[in-house]
Amino acid sequence: MESGQHMLRTGRRGTLFEFSMALRDLVTSYHRRGLAWSLAWHDVVSRYRGSILGPFWITISMGLMVLGIGLLYAKLFGISVAEFMPYVAMGIVFFGLMAGTINEGCDTFVQASSMLSQTSLPMFTFIWRTVLRNLINLAHHAVIIVGVILVFGLWRVMDPFPALGGLLLTIVNLAWISMLAAIASARFRDIPQFVMSVMQFAIFMTPVFWKPDAFPDRHAFLTLNPFYHMLTTIRAPLMGQQADGLSYVILAIMAVLGWALTFSVFAITRRRIVHFL
Amino acid sequence: MTDVSIKVTDLTLRFPVYGVDAKSLKKNLARVTVGGRLGASNTGATEVTALSHLNLNLRAGDRLGLIGHNGSGKTTLLRALSGAYEPDEGQIEVRGRIAALLDLSLGIDPSATGVDNIRLRGRIAGMSSKEIEDKMDEIAEFSGLGPFLAMPMKTYSAGMQARLAFAVATAVEADVLLMDEWISVGDADFQKLAHRRLLNLVERAGILVLSSHDAGLLRLYCNKVMRLEGGVASEVKDIRRLDELLAAA
Ligand SMILES: Nc1ncnc2c1ncn2[C@@H]1O[C@H](COP(=O)(O)OP(=O)(O)OP(=O)(O)O)[C@@H](O)[C@H]1O
Ligand SMILES: [Mg+2]
Repeated sequence: MESGQHMLRTGRRGTLFEFSMALRDLVTSYHRRGLAWSLAWHDVVSRYRGSILGPFWITISMGLMVLGIGLLYAKLFGISVAEFMPYVAMGIVFFGLMAGTINEGCDTFVQASSMLSQTSLPMFTFIWRTVLRNLINLAHHAVIIVGVILVFGLWRVMDPFPALGGLLLTIVNLAWISMLAAIASARFRDIPQFVMSVMQFAIFMTPVFWKPDAFPDRHAFLTLNPFYHMLTTIRAPLMGQQADGLSYVILAIMAVLGWALTFSVFAITRRRIVHFL
Repeated sequence: MTDVSIKVTDLTLRFPVYGVDAKSLKKNLARVTVGGRLGASNTGATEVTALSHLNLNLRAGDRLGLIGHNGSGKTTLLRALSGAYEPDEGQIEVRGRIAALLDLSLGIDPSATGVDNIRLRGRIAGMSSKEIEDKMDEIAEFSGLGPFLAMPMKTYSAGMQARLAFAVATAVEADVLLMDEWISVGDADFQKLAHRRLLNLVERAGILVLSSHDAGLLRLYCNKVMRLEGGVASEVKDIRRLDELLAAA
């Protein structure tokens, strides 16, 4: 429908038709991926306009947190700084990606309301915008990761490929959660508050600042926490350990089921999303 | 492109309104001159019928003026033509590249510079980065903003902002131009420029759909006219019969 030359909108209904339209939206957003990228990049640039350090301010504040918590907790828990500092550093940075993508997901459509109600831009474009924006931020914070890897000599023991696999699975999962939050928040304005509370709760329930040594392997407390799997599949290989294969499997299953759910919800609500706003 | 066309068949568009109790509206449901029809859908939610059973066929060279009371559905029709809304019934088909100048502030970031906004707005309008860079000089020149283009847009006056937005929006190679009410922004010089550019666009085998309350303006730009009333369209008439349509009010 969007060759740029031909626009067709119909009142036709039917489940199959709605799904094919949703798929079209996705495909169009892919063809216009440059736009999602421009918007994401513009978001980052405009947010920090006039500031010298820009997004690195967040990096600095994360870095300080890493230093403080790394030193303090290592002392409190009696763990060596060399072990705990990189652990916390990666925890904070990658959990930041999760919380950012999901929390900002709530604003995705609400923020784009004027564009959605006046143009035929694909809705997926705005989902990618949020995800890409958070990846750009992550690229800045990666300085911290590189820092701890160099300082604590992790490059000698780390295994980057499983970590990249974990990161990829994490992003795929974050994208659907972010999109589901975007749709739900457009319709119900209590959702952003709810999501924020959940993420605040999650940062303490997930081994970001603490080590799950007290739990036996595969304790329900960890296994049932999706953020644990996201974090551990990225962090463990970078620390020279092996993440439980089960975590990768869970993430993969979650990605498939999550996208199936989110895509269905999108297909069903797509025509009304613009009216929610 | 010679097969530029707009084809709207039996278009009905309703806005569901969330968070309003339909029952509390019942007593006010009498027809009023302003606005679309309020009503309750079969699920009980409040709905505004902004357009009902609208048919429209336009071909290259057609310059349609839309008239009608506030809330009669002009903006809604323009937005629907730009592809923002899914019809509840009927079908909208537009062939040709669409440029919608419905809202000057669309995609404008006041804290970004004029040049950045040209890029952003151009991207949203569907230009590639390369297309934008190729046209940058032309857009900059047409806007007449000179050194101000390197300044944040929030330092612009309303007219300056309008110039920039107009310059970018009309830089798109558009076959179908949709405009809502704003054409008379800018000073006398700029209006003359804008007028020429618009005529140029329309002459390049395009279609123009312009909504306005200003009969003089419509006579200037349009060759056809259609009247909307509570979402119901009159037939499309020649602009010379504008007075008839206005008198029907
Ligand atoms: N987002 C929306 N949600 C609910 N109702 C809407 C929305 N947009 C428009 N409407 C309703 O649709 C009807 C048509 O509105 P529209 O903006 O198209 O009128 P218009 O002809 O452009 O009026 P004006 O001359 O004031 O610009 C009105 O009754 C309005 O209340
Ligand atoms: Mg209007």
